[in-house]
Amino acid sequence: MGIRYIKEPGLIDPVMIAAWPGIGNIGLIALDSLRRSLHAEQMAYIEPYNFFYPKKVIIRGGELVELDFPASDFFYHRSSRRDVILFVGEEQPAEGGGVYAAGSMAYNMANLVLDVAEKYGCRRVYTSGAAVAPIHHTARSRAWAVPNSVTMIAEFKGYDNTVLMSDIEGRGGEGNIAGLNGLLLGIARRRGIDAVCIMGEIPVYLQGFPFPYPKGSKSVLEVLSAALDMWIDMEAIDELARQSESELTQLYEKLPDEIKQQLDRLKESTVAAAKSEGLITEDDKKKILEDIDKFFKHDGGGEQR
Amino acid sequence: MSGEEAVRLSASPDLKGSVLIVAWAEDASSLGVRAADYLMQSLDYREFGEVLPDGFFPMGGVNVVDDVARFPESKLYVCDSNNLVIFKSSIPRMGWHRFLTSLLDVAQQDCAVTEIYTLGAMISPAAHTVPRLLISIVNDREMKAALEPYNVVADNDYETPPGQKPTLSSYLGWMARQRGIPAVNLWVPVPYYLVPIDDPRSVKRLVYFFNSKYDLGVNFTALDAVIAEQNNRIARLFEKSPEIKNMVRRLEVGEGLDGEESERLANEMAQALK
Repeated sequence: MGIRYIKEPGLIDPVMIAAWPGIGNIGLIALDSLRRSLHAEQMAYIEPYNFFYPKKVIIRGGELVELDFPASDFFYHRSSRRDVILFVGEEQPAEGGGVYAAGSMAYNMANLVLDVAEKYGCRRVYTSGAAVAPIHHTARSRAWAVPNSVTMIAEFKGYDNTVLMSDIEGRGGEGNIAGLNGLLLGIARRRGIDAVCIMGEIPVYLQGFPFPYPKGSKSVLEVLSAALDMWIDMEAIDELARQSESELTQLYEKLPDEIKQQLDRLKESTVAAAKSEGLITEDDKKKILEDIDKFFKHDGGGEQR
Repeated sequence: MSGEEAVRLSASPDLKGSVLIVAWAEDASSLGVRAADYLMQSLDYREFGEVLPDGFFPMGGVNVVDDVARFPESKLYVCDSNNLVIFKSSIPRMGWHRFLTSLLDVAQQDCAVTEIYTLGAMISPAAHTVPRLLISIVNDREMKAALEPYNVVADNDYETPPGQKPTLSSYLGWMARQRGIPAVNLWVPVPYYLVPIDDPRSVKRLVYFFNSKYDLGVNFTALDAVIAEQNNRIARLFEKSPEIKNMVRRLEVGEGLDGEESERLANEMAQALK
């Protein structure tokens, strides 16, 4: 069991972009927009049986008609500018019931994805996900880039609205990336493949909710567009982002004034980050997050925190 | 683990065209296991193998239930003279496809199984006095026709709702179909207030089905005695508490209970029957 090819297209010097579900589904929404924009066609899939429990059964008239599993599909797009392989995983293979990939299943899945990248000679692999940040939902999300090799740092420093881990206040260039987005970078490095994770920022107070956050996805797409030197139609993602912001603002208006005031301070934080100044202190930030946490009682979890 | 044998057999049964009955330990009111146990007690049986736990259950310690340390078990039994194989198992927590593949390999290659049944309980808001339905989900249209004489409900439509997962029995039925083995998931709706205790009527409904279909010659005396004892205890509860009796009457005519009433009925039944 492993990879099943539906077709094996000839591709020239492609790149691979991969995404799985995660906080705000930022990576998944970005990749889905890209797939639609490029009219990418399915080329292969990973057989689900060793990785996933079925997600749905359909019974009609007392007869078991269908059993569906989470999909792990490869798509391709050929163009004069850049050939691309997209990998979209509907679920992360997690042992022990977690949301994020872990254990030998995750390792095997990451290797299968990279087997396809190697087979087609991908010169680089991108993964995409969420960066939980003390920002306000009315702010523009930045994209955090984490490459698996120092040789890529200069390139990503040069992209608009893109930061490295060392640019994030208080991180000193350190952090961790949970799940397959991170694992793929590590295994790619072992195989000598350049890989980079692009993470769109999501407000810290939304991390525990099942809301999609297309604003973060748009930031990911903007970096991919620049890195791949490829025009990407942003109309659909812009519309999604507008809808999302409008819905979040409606929800926001229903919050108690005390919480709203706390969250409004994140607008200052966002400005501060842009100016590299410390308008709110670490203690302020901690207090805001504690209050937000108490109010929403979210269950945490994150790709990059 | 993937390269190691998942099954250990102590003997190879000599069967032809046998029937496999699968009961999961974590079933509501332990219905499947109770029915399988009753069948095994009624027929001559012997254990002949097991699916080993490594790779299917977390090995991080043991659970303690009712003061006793428990460890997952997945055991195979055979009733040679009745051409019956019974598999009683904890529900695996991982490696489901390999677990079911291992079971189906034994069923096909070592036991010549040609039909599979899984046993399960559905939680029902109905009263315990309502006759138990037997609901089937088949993986094969011919099997559906073969069940018609046995008063089995076989026309359900269902799709897994968002946020839920299919049952392992459905998964087994689907995998059995890939191998051309007819399989039936049998479900009995168990009154919700009997779920934490025991529902011998539901056990009887399942055993009765197998006895009728495969002419097993099961003696129901012991099971009838358990049902009679439960009836007596409930009758004493009704004498003591007319309110509880009235709640059950309301369920009998399809009137719902509110949350508080439902909880009280469940608690008082648990006290009376445990």
